[in-house]
Amino acid sequence: MPDKAEEKATHPKSPGWILLRQALVDQKAGLFVGMLLALGWTAARILVPRFIQLGIDRGIQGDDPLWLWATLIVLAGVVSGVFLGFRRMAAFRNARLIEARYRDRLFAHIQRLHMAYHDETATGELMSRANTDLQMFQNVVTMVPITTGNVLIVIGVVIIMMWTNPVLALLALVGLPAVSILGRRFSSRLHPSLLGIQRESAELAGVVEESITGIRAVKGFGSAPVQSAKLAVEADDVFNESMDAAYVRANYLPAIELMPNLGLVVVLAYGGHLVINGTISVGELVGFNLYVLMLIQPLRMLGTVVAQGQRAIAAGERISEVLSTAPAITDPPRPKSLPKRSGGGSVSFEQVVFSYGSAGSTTVPVLDGITFHIEPGESVAFVGATGCGKSTVAHLVPRFYDAVAGSIKLDGIDVRQLRRQELRRAVSIVFEDTFLFSGTIRDNISFANPDAKLTEVRQAAMRAGALDFIEELELGFDTPLGGRGLSLSGGQRQRIAIARAVLADPRVLILDDATSAVDPSKEHEIRGAMAEVMDGRTTIVIAHRPATIALADRVVLLDEGRIVATGDHAELLATNERYRSILATGTEPELDPDAVAVDGGDR
Amino acid sequence: MGWFTGGVSEEDKLDLTASREVLARAFRLLGPYRAKAIRSFVLLVLWTGTVLAGPYLVGRSIDSGIRAGDRAALNTSVAGYLAAAIAGYFLYRGAVITLARVGENFLRDMRRSVFDRLLDQSMSFYDREKAGVLVSRMTSDIDSLSELIQFGLLMFTAALLQLVGTTVFLMFMSWKLMLVCLVAIPIVGIASRKFQRDSNRAFLDVRNRIGTTLSALQEGISGVRIVQAFAREDLEAERFSETNQELFESHMASVKVAAWYLPIVEAAGTITTAVAIGYGGWLVRDGQLSIGVVVAFILLLQGLFEPVQQLSQLFNLVQSATASLDKLFGLLDEPIEVDAPLDPVAFPDRGEISVRGVGFAYSGGPAVLSGVDITIGAGERVAFVGPTGAGKSTLAKLVARFYDPTEGAITFGGVDLRAGSPSDLRQRVVVVPQEGYLFAGTIGDNIRIACPTATDAEVRAALEKIGVLDRIDAFENGLDTEVREGGSRLSGGERQLVSLARAALADPAVLVLDEATSSLDPGTEQIVERALESLMTGRTVIAIAHRLSTSQRCDRVAVIDGGGIIELGTHDELVAAGGPYAALFASWERGLAGTDATP
Repeated sequence: MPDKAEEKATHPKSPGWILLRQALVDQKAGLFVGMLLALGWTAARILVPRFIQLGIDRGIQGDDPLWLWATLIVLAGVVSGVFLGFRRMAAFRNARLIEARYRDRLFAHIQRLHMAYHDETATGELMSRANTDLQMFQNVVTMVPITTGNVLIVIGVVIIMMWTNPVLALLALVGLPAVSILGRRFSSRLHPSLLGIQRESAELAGVVEESITGIRAVKGFGSAPVQSAKLAVEADDVFNESMDAAYVRANYLPAIELMPNLGLVVVLAYGGHLVINGTISVGELVGFNLYVLMLIQPLRMLGTVVAQGQRAIAAGERISEVLSTAPAITDPPRPKSLPKRSGGGSVSFEQVVFSYGSAGSTTVPVLDGITFHIEPGESVAFVGATGCGKSTVAHLVPRFYDAVAGSIKLDGIDVRQLRRQELRRAVSIVFEDTFLFSGTIRDNISFANPDAKLTEVRQAAMRAGALDFIEELELGFDTPLGGRGLSLSGGQRQRIAIARAVLADPRVLILDDATSAVDPSKEHEIRGAMAEVMDGRTTIVIAHRPATIALADRVVLLDEGRIVATGDHAELLATNERYRSILATGTEPELDPDAVAVDGGDR
Repeated sequence: MGWFTGGVSEEDKLDLTASREVLARAFRLLGPYRAKAIRSFVLLVLWTGTVLAGPYLVGRSIDSGIRAGDRAALNTSVAGYLAAAIAGYFLYRGAVITLARVGENFLRDMRRSVFDRLLDQSMSFYDREKAGVLVSRMTSDIDSLSELIQFGLLMFTAALLQLVGTTVFLMFMSWKLMLVCLVAIPIVGIASRKFQRDSNRAFLDVRNRIGTTLSALQEGISGVRIVQAFAREDLEAERFSETNQELFESHMASVKVAAWYLPIVEAAGTITTAVAIGYGGWLVRDGQLSIGVVVAFILLLQGLFEPVQQLSQLFNLVQSATASLDKLFGLLDEPIEVDAPLDPVAFPDRGEISVRGVGFAYSGGPAVLSGVDITIGAGERVAFVGPTGAGKSTLAKLVARFYDPTEGAITFGGVDLRAGSPSDLRQRVVVVPQEGYLFAGTIGDNIRIACPTATDAEVRAALEKIGVLDRIDAFENGLDTEVREGGSRLSGGERQLVSLARAALADPAVLVLDEATSSLDPGTEQIVERALESLMTGRTVIAIAHRLSTSQRCDRVAVIDGGGIIELGTHDELVAAGGPYAALFASWERGLAGTDATP
């Protein structure tokens, strides 16, 4: 498989190539400097064996002063060192710059991609685009000046050797291309093994992770032996993959070492006789020896660079796949503006049809011609069994998706005619799973408007019923969340999410199953906050607990993508059998004394 | 050229004695592989010999063959060189395989024994330790060991041998010339030391920044719905760019450290060569040394400085692996609190549970329970009711021996829980936790976690018994439905059903039921209720009850508050008694009359 992908990727018109070329062109100044430095390094380095040779022939065996050749060798060494240092700096800098820029681009692009894309793409996949794939990509950029230097060294050394004695040169060099070929093969053979180790290690980590997070189940059911056996299997798999990698190393590394050694044996065997014959000098023999040694590293790297380049292009292909996906939800060319108004806005759906998945596929529509109108300031609950389309209604208003047919209007204007920024400032949503960002509580509440003053943040928190517990925290609004920060209870997180939605002071507030993830004994706390924020604001509530539904002015009952009944909660409860059966589950009050006491007191 | 970024933080770094102890213990742990380890070392020593032989033979052939015009002597040297090269090939190959076998076996044993040790630990250990840290022992710490074994160990050993071997060999050839050649040592020494220190710090910083960048990346991707909902795409991209820029700068700082070390060592090598030409040449002219020896010197010096470089680069890797090994040994040494006695008594199949004068405190904390007495007859159902944190779950967990009581004793069928083996007890007492936790694999695998040998027919029978077979068969692949990656996502209620099916398959005498606090998805709730009822039939049940319906379904109710049982009796008795339970019941009934009314 990987071989196929690599082959395909090397096609000069493949997106991976184009991306790599573009990245290199972007960095052309830096790369040019890197290559110049590589040239200087090569020139100085190639001189060293030449000076050693002359030092032996003219210094030790001749009449030249020894210090002259010694000094020249030192000079060449220092100059080559300086060039090498700068070349390395330049190479790494270019590569890291490209890595950083592309990571920025990827992140910004991912942020703008439409929801349907994110529904289909796993987080981990996008993570590896911006992480491992970029690493491979930058690796090749590092290689550019290094490879330039290596190529120059190979050319220079070959010329010098041929010039000294073509026959000896050919004999010495004949086995050396094998170093490159073996190096390339080694790299491409080792790569799948390394991926295998990675994969098996990840599986092993999966067993460890599930056993430790699920330790209660492991202990409760006495399944330690089962997990232990699972781990043993994974440990064996890692072992086998690792041994495969070791055999690849054992097959190639000693051979790569052997080839130049054979070259050296040939140099001594044939070159020795040449010296005895007087064709070449002792110094030249030593020089040949040193030049062969000098070729090993560059030749090996040249082999590796081919294999790495192929992988980098494959990685570039995956990166460019993300970058070339155009966001499907875009601003209209001539956007309209929402009419000025304070307080709630109106929402209307007209014959809205929607289905997930790509357009044209024959999936069953999730919404099948829905029409309703919500007055400014009115609150409406959407109720129905799982999969009836109630969440979809909530997601269409802020244009997370576009309807397949029909239109959705906010204050009389089709949502597709508004700029996304304006629409989404006007519509705030509280999701079922409250996602809070790392940062302080204040950062999270003021997410919609980072410039909000503390008094505004406090006001929002108060309305969401979050002020009391926030103020009890030692650091109050400055308490850090997430990562190493404080872990809040589900109810507390949800109230912060509500405060976040309220701070934006939206025309329309959407509570998308905002209470279902909360411990029922704590739901009454959220319910209080919801009642407060819904007051006088257009609100769409998605819920399945009766007490929450009862907060809304009106209830819309959905079934299989159609509206089957509307009315207020009591009315539907009294008249609609379907409504009763949907609500009949999951409604038993809890025997948590705290909750019972508070709820009881309220009533 | 390997770029190992294995930095070690200051607090993790071990001093010399500690490192030596850790390594000695690791060597002892090699056990049967010890002979192989020694063999691979011997192979490497011999290989070093072949590496040194080449340049030596070149020098020798110049002196005794070429300059003397003795073609036979030259040919002998050539043959020797060829033999050394071929022997080197086989020795190197052998060393790679042998060392890998030793190292990978060691790693495999380490993975298994650390994991088994973790599983043997009691719940109090898991209360104390963070899950993330425990997982990282098995992942990043083992990985840093494996990185050393896969990439570093051979190179490190070979480099060390080559360095020592070359130095000693050169001393023998001409100690005078060698001593003068050592002038470059201070340069290399200072550079190496500085590189080691700086690179450790720089790589550690890079690693931390990579972590920060990756978590920012992850946050941005998994929070993308919120970002878009609040139209913050641009701001988030800007924020990420700052983090990313910091990573870039950290990379550049490490480049500054790494970029110059290699050239300095290389230059030092060239300087040494110049010294060999200059001073060695003088010694030749003076008649003290032959030209062949100087040539051998020059050639051997080429191989002297590469090992120095490799050692410096690998040093961090070795250090971090030693630190990881130390942490892993720490886990292996962690005592197990709830353990089997040397000579365990077998528990009877059924029996009453008797709790006598039991007190308990979580390690070092205040007493959670004190002086608790209760006897639960075989087949009796008891509900534990009470406010959060009053000790009801703790008491239930003590009966299941998740912990041992700090005072008093608990017996099952007359046998003290501590006198038997935990696995024997688990055959009789099964705990169904609050959340139906799923492991990777199919639904069938998940049900089988308590009895891995159960056949499909047995699993189906267990499902049938609790009335959920239809529900499971409704999944696309039935029992073979994958529950995690690429499989159907099970709802909370369905996960509960799997959890109950596990218990049904295990068929224990005693069931400890930790009731879920959150409500289940509509539609599944009734099935769960029915399954629960049939699961409870014929068993001793201890239910940590959050719902009134559960406590009504039990024979007796124990109200637990303030670390003890404050009321005990049947539901009707307690309601009639007018105590705390009656108050709870009354307020629940008031609640029922409110908006939550259901028929």
